[in-house]
Amino acid sequence: MDSLHAIGFYVSSAVLLIGGLGVALLPGRPLRGAALALSGVGLAGIYVSLSAAFAAAVALICYLACAFMVAGPQYRSVETAVSPLWRQLGALGAAALLAVLAYSAFRGDFVHASYSVGPFAARAVASLMLAHDVLATEAVAVLTVVAIAGATAAWRVRDRAR
Amino acid sequence: MACAGQSTVSANLVSVFFVAGGIVAVGAFAAGWRRDAAAAVATIPLMFAGAGIAFAGVARFAAAGGSHLVGQELAVLLAITALALVALGLGIAGREATR
Repeated sequence: MDSLHAIGFYVSSAVLLIGGLGVALLPGRPLRGAALALSGVGLAGIYVSLSAAFAAAVALICYLACAFMVAGPQYRSVETAVSPLWRQLGALGAAALLAVLAYSAFRGDFVHASYSVGPFAARAVASLMLAHDVLATEAVAVLTVVAIAGATAAWRVRDRAR
Repeated sequence: MACAGQSTVSANLVSVFFVAGGIVAVGAFAAGWRRDAAAAVATIPLMFAGAGIAFAGVARFAAAGGSHLVGQELAVLLAITALALVALGLGIAGREATR
């Protein structure tokens, strides 16, 4: 990977991690939505630096839509019944996971891999998704339709209950 | 003007794995830290982003020749799945909030 791609990768990684920490720590749904949009921008930058521009475009659209839903007026907060002790144990477990991953990344003996810059390849990705791996694409499409239909039904039920 | 000892910035597969693991851990931390279940749903895209970065990185750094598009394809599918799950989760959370 040349210097330009590497600098783009590290800057985008910093943007993504800052956005992720913002989703975790910022108060209020507008700020959390903005942080999620920022993390989407960082993710798209990482994909571009990895020569996956088509994935970057799709990820940017999807994450901006997620940020819009999180920051939108339809958002309602739900308090969980889980005790604070269990939630803090879960957060500590995530921190331990990060420590283990960092240790394995620094001490692991990975094979030296070569980086090959690729084209935009939207047509090749489309043929792969719609011809070779069509079953996975259809499964995700069904999941998306069911999720959006379920969300619409849930929102309609809530509006009737008012 | 080039100077002696000048080094180039580079990223390798370990860097990609480190970023991917870090963003998965940040997503898991946020899901455990948030008291609001709807806010925890917003961390699903973060964890899926980590998985997508790992897939795209492995596909791009693969040693064999040819075009490596499977990682890019999985990254696309993960982004769409994250959007669907956030929509469904926020819809269910909004319904539960009225009870």
